[in-house]
Amino acid sequence: MNTMLQMWGISKSFGGVHALTDVHLDVEKGEIHALLGENGAGKSTLMNILTGVVPLDEGHIEFDGKVYTYPTIRQMEDAGIAFVHQELSVINDLTVYENIFLNREIRNKWHVLEKKQMIDQTRELFQRLGVDMDPMTMVSELKTSEKQLLEICRALHANAKLLILDEPTTALSNEEISHLFEILKKMKAEGTSFIFISHKMPEIFAIADRYTVFRNGRFISSGLIRDTDSRRLTSDMIGQEYADKDVYHTRTLGDVVLELKDFTGHGFRDVNLRVQKGEIVAFTGLAGSGASEVLQTMFGVLPIVSGSVEVHGKSISGNISRFMEHRMAMLPSNRKENSVIPDMTIQENFQIAEHTLSRRKPVIHQKKEAAAFERLHTMLRIKSDDPQDPINSLSGGNQQKIFLARWLNTDADILIFDNPTQGVDVGAKAEIYQLILQFAQEGKTVIINTLEIPEIKKVSDRCVVFYDGAVAKIFNHDEITEQSVMMYSTNAVAEARKSEA
Amino acid sequence: MTRKANKIQPHKLLAECWSKYSYIFVFVLILIVYAITINANGNHFNPGHISGILSSQNTVIVGTMAIGMAMIIITGQIDLSLGSSLVLCTGVTIVSYNATGGNVLVMLLAALGSGLICGLINGVLVGYAKMPAFIVTLGTMLIYRSLTLSVVREMDPALTGSSSSQFSMISDMPSYEFLRMRFGTGSLRLGSIQIPYISFLFVAITLFFIFLMSNTKYGKSVYAVGSNAKTARLTGINVEGVKVSVFAVTGLLVGVASFIQACKIGNVTPASSGTSYEMYAIAAVVLGGVSMAGGRGKILGVFFGALSYTTINFIIVSIPALSPDIQNTFQGLVLIVVILVQTAGPVIKEKIISLRQRAKAPKQ
Repeated sequence: MNTMLQMWGISKSFGGVHALTDVHLDVEKGEIHALLGENGAGKSTLMNILTGVVPLDEGHIEFDGKVYTYPTIRQMEDAGIAFVHQELSVINDLTVYENIFLNREIRNKWHVLEKKQMIDQTRELFQRLGVDMDPMTMVSELKTSEKQLLEICRALHANAKLLILDEPTTALSNEEISHLFEILKKMKAEGTSFIFISHKMPEIFAIADRYTVFRNGRFISSGLIRDTDSRRLTSDMIGQEYADKDVYHTRTLGDVVLELKDFTGHGFRDVNLRVQKGEIVAFTGLAGSGASEVLQTMFGVLPIVSGSVEVHGKSISGNISRFMEHRMAMLPSNRKENSVIPDMTIQENFQIAEHTLSRRKPVIHQKKEAAAFERLHTMLRIKSDDPQDPINSLSGGNQQKIFLARWLNTDADILIFDNPTQGVDVGAKAEIYQLILQFAQEGKTVIINTLEIPEIKKVSDRCVVFYDGAVAKIFNHDEITEQSVMMYSTNAVAEARKSEA
Repeated sequence: MTRKANKIQPHKLLAECWSKYSYIFVFVLILIVYAITINANGNHFNPGHISGILSSQNTVIVGTMAIGMAMIIITGQIDLSLGSSLVLCTGVTIVSYNATGGNVLVMLLAALGSGLICGLINGVLVGYAKMPAFIVTLGTMLIYRSLTLSVVREMDPALTGSSSSQFSMISDMPSYEFLRMRFGTGSLRLGSIQIPYISFLFVAITLFFIFLMSNTKYGKSVYAVGSNAKTARLTGINVEGVKVSVFAVTGLLVGVASFIQACKIGNVTPASSGTSYEMYAIAAVVLGGVSMAGGRGKILGVFFGALSYTTINFIIVSIPALSPDIQNTFQGLVLIVVILVQTAGPVIKEKIISLRQRAKAPKQ
């Protein structure tokens, strides 16, 4: 095997803060290289240096046999490096093939587009990769997973030799992930290299060949994936022996505080569930299974079609503030879209939900609010210097903790978390689950929706599996295994029964 | 925790002041240019010029409405009907004054009430009917003015106070002297400086809205809706209600501006008064550093933005070589240049920093 990319002695600081100190990274031709580290470990900075977005202070980059001293975005693109970002950058109002050929359109001598030729080439490309997509579809009609694939295809069409995939699977269902992986393997066999950034251990072990771990801007370890295990990688990433022990312990539960009766809404139907005080219930299901929609309807985000949600025996309907007044809170999924108020400070972002409840007292009491922030700041161990800094100065994990604090500050006793660890690093993830257990201990009732079954096992008393808009199965804590949950969420059970019959 | 342990560096402090209060620097700069042009004309720049700026229609009338416009822009909307609303409301204000034999209270209520109705119509169509603000207010811009025009021609001159297609305050009412001479055009003498009474009103309104927007929960919700409406909704904010409310508040401010117009000018001509005032208000808002994308901006900035815009006008008018026909060209140019400096400035700064870093990096 020969080396595709070599970076060594790379250092970079931003205004006196060392983002990277003497790190190195090698990627071979035709390999999938996992780049691991917590948020803020320096992965993004290194990738930005590699793609020419950020200039480097010191170090060397050699790509495909050529040395680059001051890489520019243009140079690196021409050299064959493509960055597939976490945020999709395909254009919704164009067709699939137009996106593939964006900025590289084939034209004849009159500068008129050769549509047929472009469509044919797109078809060929899809065939080669085993992608099942019509080049003429509008991108707006594609599913998120298809958009992700399209973006990868676009990079390949530009003859990229090295693709950087930044958490490519966050928006994908398990089925879609395995499809994506098949395509990656095919491309790998053709000699394309990948830098694969992900926080999900099972994926790394399923797809990557080698790994490199960074911590606090320094190189920690690298090697073959088959020579290591997830426990070792995790402890490399977070720096201490990451205790993967079962933190779960049984608690005595209180009265029923929340009840769903024949609860039906957009994307789900006839859900019946009774949740006790202090209980932690996990919802899970593939994208489109209705799990997230149930949570949103329980909080007034989506309308109730029929049935009811009862809190302390009282049926509630109406808008979100009504549910908040009944001491419910929801941390929505998709932090950037649904939680961040980008133009506001950390303190303002923290306070905004509580304002809804205390709107009868219209004037803000600065000192009181600062004290409330300070209290939760300490309790949640949020790393931030000044609450008056903009919210976007924080890393993803710390932002998520601010939003957790935002809802705790409303004094809610039923907490709904929709995919709370999305885009959050391992350390913060563990902390968030620790906190969830702590809330339950204090008598709060928690409902979380997540796709990460190991996490479910770690915290939840019961696990409700959704399939196609209905409850497929409810497991008690002891019955939860990755296998059984997967069986029900993919409806493999029904298939098995059918074949038996 | 090392909170604020960093030493204060003077150049950093200055840079922070610049980025936070650039609208004040812009105003001072424009004021200096104004002083230079006046001196070049052979006159001396004196406190009279300052009180001229403070009492100008562009400051008090447009400025008052610009505060409302800023709130609308902060929520990510726009209001094109301000100039027409001003004409309609001033008409209502003057008619109710004339009809009641000079009752100041009725006049004030008529001003605020008509303003509120105009604003609510916009607000409900934008907030609850979910129509684009640009289209709604374009429609009401046409409607409000044309209604006023058609009414002024039909109405009894005893009510309009004039026979020549305008609304005019009848001068032989007992309260006329007080409203026009004392409040509308009078001023307080402080040493050598004269400060018009209506300027105090404008300052008071500004202070109230600074408080409203930065110290109340309502103010924060206005910013939140403009910054990320989806999140705002998920934190229990009534997004539609907030949208309606900013139009309603702007309507009230138009009412106040109508009252000032009546007292200061004494009349309003539906065919020509208040034309392009919505554009002047947008100019003041933008000069005040409010982001057109919504979510960001300070009411204090709008105050200085209104002063800056007035001063720019005065500069252009005071240059004898400029014919009135070409004046708007210069107004437009100055506006574009000032905004270019505000938006392009940070981009250029960033470029310079990265070039400097590149030069510092070791060469192999």
